[in-house]
Amino acid sequence: MAVMNDILNVNLNGFMLQNPIMTASGTYGYTDEYDDFIDVAELGAIVTKAISLNPRVGNKHTRITETEAGMINSIGLENVGIQKFLQDKVPVLKSKKINYVVNLAGSTIDEYTKLAEICNDNQIKAAELNVSCPNVKSGCLEFGTDENSLYELVSAVRNVYNGFLIVKLTPNVTSIEKLGIAAEKAGANAVSAINTLKGSQIKINCSLGKISKTIITGGYSGMGIKPVAIGAVIRLSKVVNIPVIGIGGIRTLNDVLEFIAAGAEAVQIGTENFTHPDIAQKLVYELAEFITQNGFKNLEELKKELRK
Amino acid sequence: MDVLKNKTKKIYKAKVSRVEKISSNSHLIEINLPSAEEIQPGQFISIYCSGLTLRRPFSVYSQNGNTIGIMFKERGLGTKYIKSLKSGDDIDVIGPFGNGFDIKNKKSLLIGAGIGAAPIAFLKSKLDKMKQENLFICGFLNKNEIPNCVNVDKVYTDDGSAGEKGSVLNYLGAVINEYKPEIIYVCGPLIVLRETAKLAEIFDLEIQVAMEKVMACGIGVCRGCVIDIKKDGKIINASVCKDGPVFSGKEVVWQ
Repeated sequence: MAVMNDILNVNLNGFMLQNPIMTASGTYGYTDEYDDFIDVAELGAIVTKAISLNPRVGNKHTRITETEAGMINSIGLENVGIQKFLQDKVPVLKSKKINYVVNLAGSTIDEYTKLAEICNDNQIKAAELNVSCPNVKSGCLEFGTDENSLYELVSAVRNVYNGFLIVKLTPNVTSIEKLGIAAEKAGANAVSAINTLKGSQIKINCSLGKISKTIITGGYSGMGIKPVAIGAVIRLSKVVNIPVIGIGGIRTLNDVLEFIAAGAEAVQIGTENFTHPDIAQKLVYELAEFITQNGFKNLEELKKELRK
Repeated sequence: MDVLKNKTKKIYKAKVSRVEKISSNSHLIEINLPSAEEIQPGQFISIYCSGLTLRRPFSVYSQNGNTIGIMFKERGLGTKYIKSLKSGDDIDVIGPFGNGFDIKNKKSLLIGAGIGAAPIAFLKSKLDKMKQENLFICGFLNKNEIPNCVNVDKVYTDDGSAGEKGSVLNYLGAVINEYKPEIIYVCGPLIVLRETAKLAEIFDLEIQVAMEKVMACGIGVCRGCVIDIKKDGKIINASVCKDGPVFSGKEVVWQ
């Protein structure tokens, strides 16, 4: 098939992708959940839902709400835990030849390193550190917002993990560049940006003069965050020498091109997977078509042109 | 792209065949859908509403050949968009999803409340085809809210403008005593589901409830629509979209 040839290949600092279209953590499950819509194995890679050392039940209150240009989620990292992932999910990923990155979440350095060791022992090729989930109370956001803590964390993980290590950065900081530099210094192989923006929605109901409110606070994602993400990718690309993976509000081929122009070597599709579950594969095809129709040799050449 | 079209399953560029007002505050939209014949009562489809991030899930009200019917109330931007569609318009539908009612060969009491009448009416049509004895009772706010396309055996309105006056819940004990069902199927607001489940427990009756929750993915991935259920003595999360939307009323942990 046309797109399965190598024009879209990406060498992400040693981690090979057949194309630059990945899916973002939390929006694609653990394995082949989207097989009802597309052939998941045709994507560059999927990033799994965040996985912790022990299973987590997640948050109790309202977990999702739609906003003007996206949505707010407060799932609270509900997940099956690393052991069940290895037992039930990895065999599916392997048998279906799905390229994947395991997203890891912890609340202490010890938890992260244990997770990383387990991944290392199980030959998991790539991991993305979630150091910036806005929906869990302890720990993890601090790693994502303080460059010294981040350096310490990534160094500790790097010591025990030989695979490809991505650090996912939060936009909820004054200078995302400092965090990117810290991740690189500590040995990360790539950074991905951005995680969700912290936001809230207050639903107000008024019935016969009596007001009732529902407040949901969580991570804001979707089309509305794209300019923030593009800005972050531009700034990060200028200061780090490792690949930047762009995430944030991607819905169209033009969005993908915009991220590449900003400096992204690959992109992750997030919220739009919910709206159009075939979007990731569609973007692979559209990108291939765009490259051939415009006479570019391959993605690498298109990147150069876009960044001139 | 053609190559993509052949690969995709469960995503349909379907056609609207009809949109019609069926009561003072609800509409019926009929859609020609290739997957129509697979759909079971209690299952849902999810509609993309132009410009909005989240698809809107709807349980199915009717199915005839390739045509399905969806009953909806205009509540916000999504339903406003769906209401604006005309016969012949394209509509982006995914589904069917979820577990529908587990139809049992038992004397059935069917309970609907408000727009929750929709999946119950679909269930009734199946039970009637199977010649399974059933009684369909339904509660509404008032006479004008009753959809003109739904045939119920007994109706209750809060203001007494049609049928008996008061909530369907007020009459449920008496109906159970008189009709002596072996199973209850119910859909409606949370309070109706909860109170019916309590009553089913008192009468020691099997009960299936169709739950509703805001959803993002509709396929069990995002974990946005989870509820608590009891399983093997433990309380665990279950997603309304994939593990439900129909649950045993006995396993749901009622808030």
